[in-house]
Amino acid sequence: MILELKSIDKSFGKKQVLKGVSFTAEGGKAFGLLGRNGAGKTTSIRILMNVFPADSGEVLIDGKPIDYGKIGIGYLPEERGLYPKKLIIDQLVYFAELKGMNGKDAVRSVDYWLGRLGMSEYRNKRLDTLSKGNQQKIQLITALAHDPRIVILDEPFSGLDPVNAMLLKDVVKEQISMGKIVLFSSHQMSYIEEFCDSIAIINAGRVALSGDLHDIKRNYVRDKLVVFSAMPEQIKADLGEACTWREDGSLLIHLAAPDEKQSMMKRLVQSYDIDEIKVFEPSLNDIFVEYAGAQV
Amino acid sequence: MKQFGKILKFELKGYLRNKIFVGITVFLVVAIAIVMFIPNIIAAFETDGDVEGDVNAAYLPTMLIFAEDDTLSSTVKEYFGSAFSDHNVQVAVGSIEDVKEAIISGDAECAFVMNSASSYTYYVNNLSMYDINTEIANTVLQEIYRISAMIQHGITPEQAGEIIAVQIESNTETLGKDQIQNFFYTYIMIFALYMVILLYGQMVATNVATEKSSRAMELLITSAKPTSMMFGKVLASCIAGFSQLVLVFGTAILLYNVNRNALSNPLIASVFDIPLELFIYLIIFFILGFLIYAFMFGAIGSTASKLEDINTSVMPITFLFIIAFMVVMFSMSSGSVDNTAMLVCSYIPFTSPMAMFTRICMSTVAWYEIAVSIAILIGATVGIGVLSAKIYRVGVLLYGTPPKLGAILKTVFKRQ
Repeated sequence: MILELKSIDKSFGKKQVLKGVSFTAEGGKAFGLLGRNGAGKTTSIRILMNVFPADSGEVLIDGKPIDYGKIGIGYLPEERGLYPKKLIIDQLVYFAELKGMNGKDAVRSVDYWLGRLGMSEYRNKRLDTLSKGNQQKIQLITALAHDPRIVILDEPFSGLDPVNAMLLKDVVKEQISMGKIVLFSSHQMSYIEEFCDSIAIINAGRVALSGDLHDIKRNYVRDKLVVFSAMPEQIKADLGEACTWREDGSLLIHLAAPDEKQSMMKRLVQSYDIDEIKVFEPSLNDIFVEYAGAQV
Repeated sequence: MKQFGKILKFELKGYLRNKIFVGITVFLVVAIAIVMFIPNIIAAFETDGDVEGDVNAAYLPTMLIFAEDDTLSSTVKEYFGSAFSDHNVQVAVGSIEDVKEAIISGDAECAFVMNSASSYTYYVNNLSMYDINTEIANTVLQEIYRISAMIQHGITPEQAGEIIAVQIESNTETLGKDQIQNFFYTYIMIFALYMVILLYGQMVATNVATEKSSRAMELLITSAKPTSMMFGKVLASCIAGFSQLVLVFGTAILLYNVNRNALSNPLIASVFDIPLELFIYLIIFFILGFLIYAFMFGAIGSTASKLEDINTSVMPITFLFIIAFMVVMFSMSSGSVDNTAMLVCSYIPFTSPMAMFTRICMSTVAWYEIAVSIAILIGATVGIGVLSAKIYRVGVLLYGTPPKLGAILKTVFKRQ
């Protein structure tokens, strides 16, 4: 199953929020939607969810316009919110039923997920008696209980402790392995990097970068070297401006051109006591800062 | 349709689990029960009525009669004594100042100071709104004056008494509606309609605004059709409100029949002996009126981003409703329920539930007028329902200051 957004435009009043946004997400893979605050991530997701229509452009499933009646979508909105004064079991079953499950299946599924997330003891409690992290887990159940084909998680890890984050990771991995389309939106790059096979970075309403994360990293210009040495001060002093410190005490050497790599490596090995030299592979964080940060 | 059922069930459950809602219903039922049993309770304490009656005489408020002429004061005392059976009528001794003193100190409640047989001054400490003593006194004094005048003209006191006491026999045949008989239940029903619509309208608006402020909305609109949401919510509140009314009025009717003998007051009887035909009209207008306002309240609720905004946002609707209520109430109390304002109001969907129902109860309205009014009302209710669902859809995602109505409508129609 392939989910495709094609040249989506959207304006609110005079402000154009999305300018020709396109990206593609595949079943069995996680897709990361990145962008700074206000870049247009949530608006893209809301259009995908049919909360409001796009001014132009299409949402396609396997090349055909999406049929919201048939395709189940599970959605964990960034603005979390359920009924604070109602019993957890009641509202979870209600939401599962609204998504088309019958009463019995809804109760069974909700009970399964409550157990899976270690929340069974809160089944008959009011939502507002729970801590923020636990409320978030309850909210997650509304996105998963009806077994949707597409799962959209907007900042799923915010507010979770490491144990719960681990639990969520397992759940997400399981969903991916079931062949579902899992769409992430997050600022926490480490999670995106861990799960997502492909990404799209949205900047000021445009897709600044999209595609397979490995390809993106491989195609990144290889013009920097990371050097671990026993005598880094010496190297820094000799190379001057072209050499900067990294947080872990290693050095980052900026090459004038990618093809200087070999000669620079040789020169370093011959002149200094070197522990390790490797070509700099950017982290997703580096890529994000470069594409989303600079062009605003 | 399936979703609609689920939403209706969920919302209804919400009302049934709402402690305030249940509490008010129980309170109303208990209050009605107490009111209905009061005559029996009082009767139970009144078995020794005669003895208590004598004791009570000492506690009747004192009315003083003062006149320079002793004959006049004793005559007046005699007549007033029987005319004011709820007062202890006494002839005052001393001066006018003593009389005033007695009233101010509270020893006497009021006093008639006679200047002559046909002229007096009435002294009272605080003049009650319902004080009709002077009117009674005028009648009695006129009677005394006429009788003595007749005696002077040679008529015997017996004959004079007969002339004064002549009774006119009258008989009224009502060919249309009896306004006096229908007034009270019309009044009660209009008032119940008014209370329930405002109360439940606010509830619907608050309900929608709570969902919006707790952000449950985003999940809801991605799960269900806005028309299902809106109709589900509004119908749930309608069912809740209606069953509350049925419970309260049902208790009242049941207990009225249990206590029928004690509640012999014709006024109360007129309220409970509402004709079936009117009862059916009542239900039709009640449900439609409820729905049309509940839809509007729901739509307004969806445009408010905070619960605090609700009160100001619903103001225009509340005013519209209060104006309709006022027009009906004034027309009812003036007796002219077929005036131009009422004629117009009985076809405007926002006012017709009250105006047309009042006219049906208190005047003679042709069947086609009723049919046209109901048809307009049904059409408008469905229209407002669909429109409110669209406003809901647009309104729920707007946060910040409540948008202007014009802006919302523009967005609604742009979407189509």
